[in-house]
Amino acid sequence: MYGKGLRPLSIATVVAIAAALSLTFFYAPLDADQGFIQKIFYLHVPLAIVALCGFVAGGVFAILHLRSGERRWDAYSYVAIHMSVIFGVAVLVTGSIWAKASWGHWWVWDEPTLVSFLIVFLMYATYYPFRYAIEDPERQARYASVFAVTAGAFVPLNFMAVRLAESLVHPRVFATTSGGLPGSMMLTFLVSLLAMGLLWLTLVKLELTAKSASGQLKRLRRAIDAPLPGGGSRIAPEVS
Amino acid sequence: MDFLPLAAPALPLDEAGKYVAGAYVVFLVLVLIYVAIMAAKLQRIERELKELAGFAENRANGEIAAPGRGSEEPSISDSLAPRGAEEAASDV
Amino acid sequence: MTPSRAAFTTILAKDLRAELRTLQSLPAMALFATTTFVIFRFGLDRTSLSGSLASGVLWGTLLFAALLGVNRLFVAEREEGGFDAIRLAPIDRSALFAAKAAALFAYLVVLELVVVPVFAVFFLDSAAPLAPLAAVLLLADLGIAATGTLISSMAVHSRARDLLGPLVLLPLVVPLMIAATGASEPLLAMGGPAYERFGTWLAVLSLYDLIFLLLGWAVFDFLLED
Repeated sequence: MYGKGLRPLSIATVVAIAAALSLTFFYAPLDADQGFIQKIFYLHVPLAIVALCGFVAGGVFAILHLRSGERRWDAYSYVAIHMSVIFGVAVLVTGSIWAKASWGHWWVWDEPTLVSFLIVFLMYATYYPFRYAIEDPERQARYASVFAVTAGAFVPLNFMAVRLAESLVHPRVFATTSGGLPGSMMLTFLVSLLAMGLLWLTLVKLELTAKSASGQLKRLRRAIDAPLPGGGSRIAPEVS
Repeated sequence: MDFLPLAAPALPLDEAGKYVAGAYVVFLVLVLIYVAIMAAKLQRIERELKELAGFAENRANGEIAAPGRGSEEPSISDSLAPRGAEEAASDV
Repeated sequence: MTPSRAAFTTILAKDLRAELRTLQSLPAMALFATTTFVIFRFGLDRTSLSGSLASGVLWGTLLFAALLGVNRLFVAEREEGGFDAIRLAPIDRSALFAAKAAALFAYLVVLELVVVPVFAVFFLDSAAPLAPLAAVLLLADLGIAATGTLISSMAVHSRARDLLGPLVLLPLVVPLMIAATGASEPLLAMGGPAYERFGTWLAVLSLYDLIFLLLGWAVFDFLLED
């Protein structure tokens, strides 16, 4: 039963998001260098971290699927990657807005983390056309898992390569969090991270519940010998 | 703070505010789009469930159909039941 | 010789012999690359290249030529039941991965033996960079062979196989390309080959190769299940 913990989880998410927003705008001090623009980071960086963890989770679920053969791991892997790609869109757009506000351009190649993330996003974006081009459902699930594992191995390599490639002329624009953040900012950041993580979990659970309901419907339909509904011949990962 | 100084100074508050607001709006819109898609899925599930419930009810009623019982459509078995012969006889 | 080793040798030999006999992929890849160089000559409006431009043109062209070869890698297996044969044989199925990757590696090396001298003749002032460039080329070829074989073995079972292979493979080889071009750019510099961060880039290439060769070897069993 996927819908079981959904209500407490979503309540927790709402509380966390409210807390994060309050802290961001009423508590966290204004950054000396970047000014008000810096507030974007309480949104952008947690989204990025959660998305990347989501991709890793997708890879882990994929390994579990390959080893056990149970289809539900594949569904978890699919939904994890799916949600992380959506979060990835948010990361790139908020990153672009930040770039425009800071540098005047909608995109900058100087920020290695953002560029690495773009490449990772492009990699995982191919997950869908790849998956849906394979018609046999069992094979589709297996190959998707191999993809998820391969892409998971690719992520750290990619970050490393991009960071190495970064020209020594351009300074790092945003030193990622841990180093030297004052306590109030760190608190705000951590709460925001928690909020985004909970949001990811809630939406993943919501999606799995919907999939499960669809799966049960199919099961019911088969059991009472009802005719199939029209349309939608695309084979999608199932949860039953 | 270990932020390296940027090429340009920080934007004035009102201009910066627009960008920050924009970022949060984008986030909100994405979440809402997702909710809308989920709502559509839920609607479809509801519709299918309704259809299946109707189908199951029809079948249940059809199988235990008796003379004069409501206006259900006759199931296939009805045409072979004695009831059909009675009706044919009474039509004459 | 273990059955797996024997299978590896047989499959590899069969592939190389088939390619030699039919010459399906290699001439096409070489011609493609050469014509692409001509297009670049006019597109960039330059008759000589150095540094980052040279590196970019060379690697971009090699990559897209490689994609042509990758697409054709498993077509014979798919059409003639080679996958089933491997599945039924009592051998380590990863032998197929190793053999195919080795074959692809061989094609890429032969391709470069032709294409890189052509590139040098078209655009470079001296042949001095070619020797160190060979090291970069070999390591990059290993990486393309590993990932290309892995992706191609899956794409061959899909509907849009010619599209899907390149689509998935391109982002996957970005780190490889970053390292390869990073190493090549100083090699192709105006004043003669420089070795700026050469060791670092070679290390990245080797790491990439190691990870994806191991990964391909490890997951190939799951790919052949049916």
